[in-house]
Amino acid sequence: MSRRLEICGGEIARLTTLLVLLSAVAVIAQPATEVRQDRIGAPDGPPLTGAALESLTEKVSSLMRCPVCQGLSVNDSPTPLASAMKNEVRDMLAAGYSRDQVLEYFEQSYGEFIRLAPHARGFNLTVWLAPLALLAVGIALILRRRREAPGRPAAAAVDPDLAAYREQVRREVGR
Amino acid sequence: MNRRVLLVGSLIVVPLLVFLALSFGKDPRAIESPLIDAPAPGFALFDLDGQPVDLAELRGQPVMINFWATWCQPCIVEHPALQAAARRYEGRAHFIGIVYQDDAALIRSFIASRGGWGRTLLDPDGETAIAFGVYGAPETFFIDADGTVVRKVTGAMGIDFVSGIIEGLL
Repeated sequence: MSRRLEICGGEIARLTTLLVLLSAVAVIAQPATEVRQDRIGAPDGPPLTGAALESLTEKVSSLMRCPVCQGLSVNDSPTPLASAMKNEVRDMLAAGYSRDQVLEYFEQSYGEFIRLAPHARGFNLTVWLAPLALLAVGIALILRRRREAPGRPAAAAVDPDLAAYREQVRREVGR
Repeated sequence: MNRRVLLVGSLIVVPLLVFLALSFGKDPRAIESPLIDAPAPGFALFDLDGQPVDLAELRGQPVMINFWATWCQPCIVEHPALQAAARRYEGRAHFIGIVYQDDAALIRSFIASRGGWGRTLLDPDGETAIAFGVYGAPETFFIDADGTVVRKVTGAMGIDFVSGIIEGLL
């Protein structure tokens, strides 16, 4: 009888410990979920698991800049901060948040800096448009040169000040 | 011809010079926090004694949240200043330290030898640090009595600097 009570007591103690741990996890997990809800609302899609989750985690963290590295993505960085960020990405995707929601969440923590490819709007458009504009200017200059080249007289011939010297050189060489 | 070259050159060079001049005085590695003037991200973490601390319950008084670690030299440098500030504003402001990428045992040992300040919370997965946009230590956030982030400071602080900010929030 006392043996059964002892076993029962042990199970109750284990259950109590489990409940305390679960409560602790709930206390910790709730604010993280609340912060996500406050910032980006409810998850857009279904929860992900397995290979699909890992694949999307790598894709999304490849779009994020590691804040403590030089030009490395969160996916490529071996730093502890990048690992923590990648885990956060995985948690959010597992909860059903979309790629855009995850990026938006991190942007609200770190600003647009966190995106390896910034939004194509406002001043950022310079990054996209400047190379195209320079290319257009280059092409225009080349076309102009080519158009002018065939009909353009030699520089020395149009300079009247040099005409006498050219004539003198021609005479001396001819002699 | 020379005037045209000068004009085109100026059109290219002047905007670049203006852009560079605007960036003088800024730390290129510093990340501006989008949290300024926004509500502080909520958290409920455990302190070193296993007691839960919920940020929402600290409303009504200014809160200083300092992310720190024992491996961080500037954190050790500013430790006495934060101890002094916590003593000076005891009962009028909350001082919260959140352990950043460090081991609880090392933190306990550090506090045992040098003394602590405020309450030290553990953030084992770094979720709270990420929610605050932390990328190094020390980083300190000052939150007003309504729960709005009013200032972020990167690097070690002195007692006068901390006092100046806290006084403005009282």
